[in-house]
Amino acid sequence: MFGIAALTCNGAFFVNAPLQRLFPWLSLLLAIVALSFLVVGARLLIVHPNVYRGRMLSVVLTVIALLPAGLSVFGFVTTRKLPSAAAAPQVGQQVPDFTLSDTSGKPVSLDQLLAASPASTTQSQASAPKAVLLIFYRGYW
Amino acid sequence: MRPVAISVDPPEVSRNLANKSGYTFPILSDPDAAVIRRYHILQPAGSPDEHDIARPAEFLVDSSKTVRWCNFTEDIRVRARADEMLAAARQLR
Repeated sequence: MFGIAALTCNGAFFVNAPLQRLFPWLSLLLAIVALSFLVVGARLLIVHPNVYRGRMLSVVLTVIALLPAGLSVFGFVTTRKLPSAAAAPQVGQQVPDFTLSDTSGKPVSLDQLLAASPASTTQSQASAPKAVLLIFYRGYW
Repeated sequence: MRPVAISVDPPEVSRNLANKSGYTFPILSDPDAAVIRRYHILQPAGSPDEHDIARPAEFLVDSSKTVRWCNFTEDIRVRARADEMLAAARQLR
């Protein structure tokens, strides 16, 4: 049950929630709770083998519980494997210039983006923007 | 404030993404991750097929090319939210 809740938490990332930052930890916590319940269950099974019969069912339930819990822990570890951004431009520092191709293959420079309505954009922004928000993303969409 | 998205995806891929999702802001391609490298936000072999990609990062850059706000997530599932970025942009005068 908690394992499934932990996995559901991962789905919650697609919701633009203000508490988004908490979800990875909540997911990890739920996975740990799920695993602790599994350990308790396994101990009960060993101590009172006569009371808790139906071994097949417990094996199946264990696998069902382990899968989402394991996936959650795995997800927590892999999604945090990010290199440090300590050397990246910080507040108050200047960013390097660049010229890159847009979706139609036309080169666009940072200067153009900061200027009034660059020819390449479909956005009809008459005046120059106060700022440009550079969003680097992983790609492979 | 003008949002600009940058990734290693080739222009065709980004065009598909823009068409599918209806994005009208510029999406730029850095297939060799040259600019990503210059911004020191490279994640070596970070893609599913082990190509170099950008770690997620957001920079709010003013007309003098100075960073006024930036965000570097520690978890790829947690990104800067629209309201955070808009709030940062609103602080600019």
